[in-house]
Amino acid sequence: MLIPLDMLKPGEHAHVVEVTGDAAWVGRLAEMGLREGCKLQVLQPGSPCLLKVADCRLCLRGCETTQILVQPVPA
Amino acid sequence: MPAKPVTVALVGNPNAGKSTLFNALSGLRQHVGNYPGVTVEMKKGSFTVGDTRFDLIDLPGTYSLAARSPDEMVAVDLLLGRRPEEPPPDVIVSIVDASNLDRHLYLTTQVMELGVPVVLAVNMIDVAAGQGVTIDAAKLAAETGLTVVPVQANKGTGLDKLREAVRAAATGGHAPTAPKLPDALEAEAKSVLAGLNGEVPAFLARRLLLDIGGSTEQWFTAKYGEAVRQRVTDARVRLAAAGCAVPAAEAKARYAYIRAVTAKAVTKPAERPKALTDRIDRVLTHRLWGTLAFFAVMFVMFWSIFSLAEPLMDLIEGGFKSVGKAVEDGMAPGPLRSLVVDGIIAGVGGVLVFLPQILILFAFIAVLEDCGYMARAAFLMDRLMSRCGMSGKSFIPLLSSVACAVPGVMATRVIENRRDRLATILVAPLMSCSARLPVYTLMIALFLPTERYSAFARAGVLFAMYLLGFVVAPLVALVLRKTLLRGERSLFVMELPAYKRPSVRNVLRRVYDAGWAFVRRAGTVILASMVLVWAALYFPYTDAEGQSYETRVAEHTEKGEKAEAAKVKAEWKRESYLGRVGRALEPAFAPLGWDWRIGVATLASFPAREVIVGTLGILYEVDDAEEDADSLTKAVRDDWDADPVRGKYAVPVALSVMVFFALCMQCASTLAVIRRETRSWAWPAFTFAYMTALAYVGALVTFQVGKLLIG
Repeated sequence: MLIPLDMLKPGEHAHVVEVTGDAAWVGRLAEMGLREGCKLQVLQPGSPCLLKVADCRLCLRGCETTQILVQPVPA
Repeated sequence: MPAKPVTVALVGNPNAGKSTLFNALSGLRQHVGNYPGVTVEMKKGSFTVGDTRFDLIDLPGTYSLAARSPDEMVAVDLLLGRRPEEPPPDVIVSIVDASNLDRHLYLTTQVMELGVPVVLAVNMIDVAAGQGVTIDAAKLAAETGLTVVPVQANKGTGLDKLREAVRAAATGGHAPTAPKLPDALEAEAKSVLAGLNGEVPAFLARRLLLDIGGSTEQWFTAKYGEAVRQRVTDARVRLAAAGCAVPAAEAKARYAYIRAVTAKAVTKPAERPKALTDRIDRVLTHRLWGTLAFFAVMFVMFWSIFSLAEPLMDLIEGGFKSVGKAVEDGMAPGPLRSLVVDGIIAGVGGVLVFLPQILILFAFIAVLEDCGYMARAAFLMDRLMSRCGMSGKSFIPLLSSVACAVPGVMATRVIENRRDRLATILVAPLMSCSARLPVYTLMIALFLPTERYSAFARAGVLFAMYLLGFVVAPLVALVLRKTLLRGERSLFVMELPAYKRPSVRNVLRRVYDAGWAFVRRAGTVILASMVLVWAALYFPYTDAEGQSYETRVAEHTEKGEKAEAAKVKAEWKRESYLGRVGRALEPAFAPLGWDWRIGVATLASFPAREVIVGTLGILYEVDDAEEDADSLTKAVRDDWDADPVRGKYAVPVALSVMVFFALCMQCASTLAVIRRETRSWAWPAFTFAYMTALAYVGALVTFQVGKLLIG
């Protein structure tokens, strides 16, 4: 089941399946570690949300401009 | 004979500990390099191994070499040796965080394509070990072909080995073999390069293909025409069709390489222990607890600025006063003495008094930033800031502007979105900076005397002035984003680094730089303004009959006619060039409750706000006989008491002056820095115009409402 990133609940883990949208931003997110195939955890939902990607914490706002689809997985 | 100096470029992700390493390597031997046409500044330093000097350039922290702005393009050009100001680097030191090796190696894989020997400094090796992550430096070196040196920059561990590795790389090193990108990509990049007649490095041709809409693309289009853009767009379409879409293909290839390398060289525990950072973050980024903690931090900061600084400020003030007195005793009475004592010493001293506050504020900002808290504050503030058309990253610039808008405006460089950044720059000068403090203090001392008003009321007025900036700035930003700077809200992404103990060296460095910049300003802009104001109030020094005012004052004084002498002095000021301008403009000042003297002092303060203190001193000609510290306060109050408007409405007039200063753009240095950062004259002109208009309306409303209330 694929869901948009902003629908994940706090503490939930997921695999990133697809990152689409403005190419420059997709590239930028990939450089910061948020890319297709990576695993993340939602530390705090909302806008901005707080994510744990690999071992880094990223603060993210404006997911509406860049679709990030994820597959929830057990921790 | 000493050998030729070796140029070393230092690159790394933000938070990799790059500045710490740079400071540790170069010590005090550093300065800032500027590059024409861009806002970027790079720190340069040097160190010596044997008899060879190594010149170190600290490039801005970045996640990749995909340039997204002209500033980032400078860094790439510099690495490629395409900047006339710097020789091409002989060695590149790429610093990575051991506990985040996978992520940080991304940039290194790009650096490996530059054709220059690369030394990999693996930083924070102790922290990683504490988390159970072990890195086999020899294996990492074998896998990547780079010289690998484990270091712990904040403790100075491994620096000698790093220096030695840099020296070895400079003498006998060779460029590493770059990780392979997909064949289809390499082939297209080659044909792009061929189309440019091989005039540019292969690296740039590859970036042109990979970075959609990036600075490389813009640079090439400007130089070679639209045809180039069309050619790479076609190439990208072909790549997408071949299952190798840009930009995902690059990230995929690089991360695949990194995974293969780290699989052999890095051992991680199956389950990482819950990091201390996460536990702290549970509280500090919590919506309620985090916000409370944030306010507590802000409170402690402001409290320190005002209370810890006080004894130091008294010390400086006392020092300047005794210098002033010594000069006064040593010089013959006259205009020159008035310039030196009232203008220069009081003017510059009145500014330097704020040095302790500036130093404390910057120490706080440096500590909060170095330990990693600032990113949390930005995260907490983002919700609020984004509603006003700014971003969480606007918070630090606005906070810095409470000390001084100049570093505040410069701190906006971290904001990627151009409109967010402009909005922040344009409203930053609205924050009540330390230069406004002397004005507030003077006005409060003048019209809210301790005999009649409680300390609470006086503090309340001061607080209200600061609040004015905090309230008006976001409102103006909101209006700007709805009108002039309208545009899509873009993505906002920011890394929250792991908490660490702040480095004393980094903090001291920041504080020193900020303090020195402030002192320099006091010695230049303010000094020059004071001399000009003094001259404009001194000339012409003869009356209509051609008699010198000075002689007339001296004659009256000799005869003991104090009142007559004062009258002549007043006439002199009134008839001076600045006095004439002030009187001509008096109708404009009248609705604000001001007379020509307040008007003139305000006009004179446009280059720098603090000038008002010295100017009022000259205008109200504090009697030489009185050496009382509060002589200016007394002189102004006596004068106002005798006036029908200002006598009755003293408090509204004082408030109107304060509101005017709170909202007005009276700072040449800020305008200059806005011009530099926006690379246009239009934005400083606009800031000046809107703030002056806002200040006038604000002061007008304050006085008129105050007048109505008093009746």
